[in-house]
Amino acid sequence: MKKSPSNDLIIVLESLRNRREFLKLFAKGFGYSALASALPACGGGGGGGGNPGQSVQTAVIPQASSEYTALKRTSYGVHRDALSAIQNMGIDAYLEEQLDYTQIDDGNLEGTIQTLFPLTRQSPAQLIGGFPDNIATIAQQMTGATQYRQIFSRRQLYEVMVEFWSDHFNIHLLNGLGPTLKPEDDRQVIRTHALGNFRDLLHASAKSPAMLFYLDNFFNLASAPNENYARELMELHTLGVDGGYTETDVKEVARCFTGWSIRFPGDMSGNYGTFVFVPAVHDNNAKVVLQNTISAGGGQSDGEQVLDILATHPSTARFIATKLCRRFINDTPDQASIDAVSAAFTQSGGDIKTTLRALFATDAFRTSADQKFCRPAEYLAGLVRALAPDTPYPTDNGVLFFFAQSIMGQLPHYWPTPDGYPDKQGYWASTGGLLNRWRLSFLSFATVIPPISVFQIDYTTLLGGANTLAKIVDALTSSILMRPLSAADRSHILDWLVDEYGQAENVGLPAGTPELIAPLVAAVLVSSAYFQLR
Amino acid sequence: MAITSPMKTPASTTLPADRDILVCIFQRGAADGLNALVPWGDVDYYNQRSTIAVPAPGSAGGAIDVDGFFGLHPALAPLKPIYDAGDLALVHATGIPHGSRSHFAAQGLVERGVDDKSGPDTGWLGRHLALSTPASNSAFRIVSISGNVPVSLMGASEPLAISNLGEFGFDQDIIDSGYPAVLTSLYRSPVPFYAPARSALAAMDELQAASISAITPDNGAVYPNNDLGNKLMQAGQLIKSSLPVEVICLDSDGWDHHESLPAYIQQSLTELADAVNAFYTDMGTQMQRITVLVHTEFGRRVAQNASIGTDHGTGGLAYLLGGGVNGGQIVSNWPGLATPNLEMGEDLKITTDLRTVLSELLTKRLGGTDTSQVFPGFAGPTAANVFLS
Repeated sequence: MKKSPSNDLIIVLESLRNRREFLKLFAKGFGYSALASALPACGGGGGGGGNPGQSVQTAVIPQASSEYTALKRTSYGVHRDALSAIQNMGIDAYLEEQLDYTQIDDGNLEGTIQTLFPLTRQSPAQLIGGFPDNIATIAQQMTGATQYRQIFSRRQLYEVMVEFWSDHFNIHLLNGLGPTLKPEDDRQVIRTHALGNFRDLLHASAKSPAMLFYLDNFFNLASAPNENYARELMELHTLGVDGGYTETDVKEVARCFTGWSIRFPGDMSGNYGTFVFVPAVHDNNAKVVLQNTISAGGGQSDGEQVLDILATHPSTARFIATKLCRRFINDTPDQASIDAVSAAFTQSGGDIKTTLRALFATDAFRTSADQKFCRPAEYLAGLVRALAPDTPYPTDNGVLFFFAQSIMGQLPHYWPTPDGYPDKQGYWASTGGLLNRWRLSFLSFATVIPPISVFQIDYTTLLGGANTLAKIVDALTSSILMRPLSAADRSHILDWLVDEYGQAENVGLPAGTPELIAPLVAAVLVSSAYFQLR
Repeated sequence: MAITSPMKTPASTTLPADRDILVCIFQRGAADGLNALVPWGDVDYYNQRSTIAVPAPGSAGGAIDVDGFFGLHPALAPLKPIYDAGDLALVHATGIPHGSRSHFAAQGLVERGVDDKSGPDTGWLGRHLALSTPASNSAFRIVSISGNVPVSLMGASEPLAISNLGEFGFDQDIIDSGYPAVLTSLYRSPVPFYAPARSALAAMDELQAASISAITPDNGAVYPNNDLGNKLMQAGQLIKSSLPVEVICLDSDGWDHHESLPAYIQQSLTELADAVNAFYTDMGTQMQRITVLVHTEFGRRVAQNASIGTDHGTGGLAYLLGGGVNGGQIVSNWPGLATPNLEMGEDLKITTDLRTVLSELLTKRLGGTDTSQVFPGFAGPTAANVFLS
């Protein structure tokens, strides 16, 4: 774990204070009254009393289609076009296409990233030149690039795995020199190997200057080893806390990694932020790691041998398989799924695509649905993908979304401790977590509220000509939720609209009115459990 | 028809006379106890920490002497008057002997109040709260000032998770639109997440009625403008409001000082002491009915490492504040810092099980909840004379 970044974070947030005021405007829900006055013949008053005798349906949330569920689990929210594609080609072919991600045409997405978020492409040596004045900009651009890809990339499964490994090998961006180091780690470690081989990923991470700095290994000396990296390497990156290592193993592994360091600012070679092995501070005596002898005099290879021991250890296969099943299936995956995925991991020598194929073939993945509460990143990207499938990129270069994800507590690379953002719904489905999503659901008003019109919602298309309250609910259920409402919930929403607008459900509304009503209906739909389950 | 609006809950403003309001601060990351409450009278302290030790009282940057053996880190000076007033007790060489040096495993074990994984998977506070009769049906009985609910509260009925009281709610025009009411219908039992959803909707109503933002610090208290200061200020607002809050949990982050410990702990202890002092001042006489508990997952290694820091250890330090605390004392049963006296030859031994302190807290200050049900399998002792009854 690492010290608190709170002071650095404050710097970032302070530098954007004006924007924060602007966010508050939308976060509490804005300007609804202006809208209401534009509506015809508001019923007013409503009539209290409630309806306590109403029966509750037993089928609480009707299951979505299997194609919807497969998409929801492997993407950042169901996009209309992706749903058509998976319906046409079938789930297997779709997932196979997603695994072969380099063959998916992503248009000029990376060119756009280069233009909008150039600092994410820079090396530590380039970034240190503007440090620390560039901290806030780096933070915004790292978030912006991540969100941009999650929303717009057609390589959705790849982006899901990028996030998965970013959490697994978590590095806090705002941690000392971290802002200058993490962008390269993101490119060279995480994005390079996200659908590659686990052993390669592990070796790349171990030599990543961002990781060496974050977990203090840069200062791991033979004279007094620093155990931080050694412990988290086994607990979090490979074996898992119950993976069978001892406190002695922690000390021995720490000794193996003595001398693994980085070149610091002002390095004479001009290679700031690159990996360096310093033989003078390496412990060259023999070590024993998990009953394997590491011979004396191995130098840098000591650590490399440890990584290979760990990468091929059965506990690692089990640990990675469990985490993948937890990500793609549910919080407490069944043993049969874990065993199947673990076996594929071992037999393929840690090939991540082969491992995922095994996971996608499990009964649990194929037959269950609605087992998890999507995390904030999925919620936010999912809002755009559902409400505005054809929108161009936000005109504010992502500033609004930076704050939106900040409020929800899942800014990319901002989790301070090395275990990464939690992947259990008990953490996210809290009172505060739900409230924040409800507030953000009012992004559905982006068409009519100038300060947040950063992406374009086309309600005319989403409504498809619906001109009564009943048709509005049905059309938006189909175009935004893309899964059926229960009869009870359809009634709840419709009764509320009838009450709120003083119009019977099947009465034709004046032209233009459905588009004014739609944002509030959309806010309710994306606030519901329907939209947040996967 | 109309949609029923979220339930208004009648709020009781007082707890039963035998129950304090509990404010629980978890120091995440394994806070070092040895440089906070400094055993300057133990020569081995200086042998083990040759360049990071806090100097003895009287030297430059030296500890503030407390009893001729222990002294407070200078950054903890704001706590000294509270100690002298008898409202602060310090328990050194404490913790739960769980044997884990993993932050994540150890935090889970300590929050569950167990010493191995086979214990109950609910939190110790959650079990206490499930066993004790609610003094109200307010959504504000149990509050985590955070975006999430900590493990310690697992098992309690729907704790609130609120990171910022001022932003918890909707503007009036949204409320008037019927949006919260329709959500109340959509999140009916047993729809997934109905419990936190209903709790959030009820809390919004209660919070609006309580006008919380109008409650400002009293008695000249000035909260530091940092994370912990902001959280404790909100805890103070909740306690002074009409909301019948009973347990508040919050985190103090950033205690994992593997490197440059002297500089980082100075910063962390300053934040802690300033924030706690402000809270104590703000609460004034209400401290008679408040207990504050500050603790961590484990202490840090006795000897320093090469990075001018310390690695993970065992025994740590707990702070207890309040009118019901038998304060002005240090409970330590000091095990000594010579290598033969250390746990595994490296760590400060635990001489007072934290559950001993928590058991006494339950018995004397939290209504007498059955400690054998809160800490099943714990052999005791169940009191350490840290609280007044």
